Amino acid sequence: MFKDLDPILHSQLRLAVMSLLISVKEAEFTFLKEKTNATAGNLSVQIQKLKEAGYIDVVKKFKDNYPQTICKVTSAGVKAFEKYVKNLQTYLVK
Amino acid sequence: MEEQAQLTEKESLDLIAQMIRKAKSSFHESGTSAILWGSVVALAGLINFAEENWNFSIGFDIWLIVLAALIPQIFISVKERKNRKAIAHDSTFMNAIWLVYGISIFALLFYFNIVPWMTDREIKEAGNELLIRNIHTGSLEHFTPNIFSHFSLLLILYAIPTLATGLGFKFRPMLLGGILCYVFFVTSCFTSTKWDMGLNGLAGIFNWLVPGLILRGRYLKGKSC
Repeated sequence: MFKDLDPILHSQLRLAVMSLLISVKEAEFTFLKEKTNATAGNLSVQIQKLKEAGYIDVVKKFKDNYPQTICKVTSAGVKAFEKYVKNLQTYLVK
Repeated sequence: MEEQAQLTEKESLDLIAQMIRKAKSSFHESGTSAILWGSVVALAGLINFAEENWNFSIGFDIWLIVLAALIPQIFISVKERKNRKAIAHDSTFMNAIWLVYGISIFALLFYFNIVPWMTDREIKEAGNELLIRNIHTGSLEHFTPNIFSHFSLLLILYAIPTLATGLGFKFRPMLLGGILCYVFFVTSCFTSTKWDMGLNGLAGIFNWLVPGLILRGRYLKGKSC
């Protein structure tokens, strides 16, 4: 049914994460968790998949002695997202 | 949110729209900095006007509170940076505008203080002196050069970042504040320094204090939801 849709993006949580990241310059893991209401474990797995696909950059650092994960969409991620939305729109037109 | 959930094309688009809305709604400006600078400029301008109008002195230059306000501003900036979980696309640009404005204000204050003194020195070094003659008594007195209507220049500078922010974010209170600031500037070209001080105070109220209070209200409302 969704032959043309990117399988990396066509999943609820990954799409939610990409939609959030496309709207901001960068976001912390806690921001993504709060907005998606996902569990930390599930979110980590999906972030890793997006990272492996080259759609997002993940930087791990420390803030006030606490680990901090910052995510940022890459230009490949922007292109993939735009293509995904375009494909979705063609489905809706059909 | 479950990863395995299958989405229809409409659900996908709805999810994208919902997440973009959620991300955008996270960026409510707290208004703290605007309230701080609005209050400081309003207080300084209006007290300075009152001193000139009713001939009294509070014993120190009230505009020094602008320098003092840098201390709470540093704390506010550090706290906001600490609590920030995401950075908006336009925040870097807006921060740059306000930073450049801050630098320019202090550069202009430096100019106001240095240029008259330097001009006086240069005139003296050339073996000359500027004198001012009282047309009623005919007496001549030394005249220290000054920057004429220097508060008008401050008004133009206030208008730049305020109007840019108002236009950029389509935030009507700051847009109106910026426009009003240009009106105050034109007015100040025809009024005495005393009234220019008052107009600076009013600019502080309309440019930052009122928009800051509106932003604060929105921020608190968004927080309670």
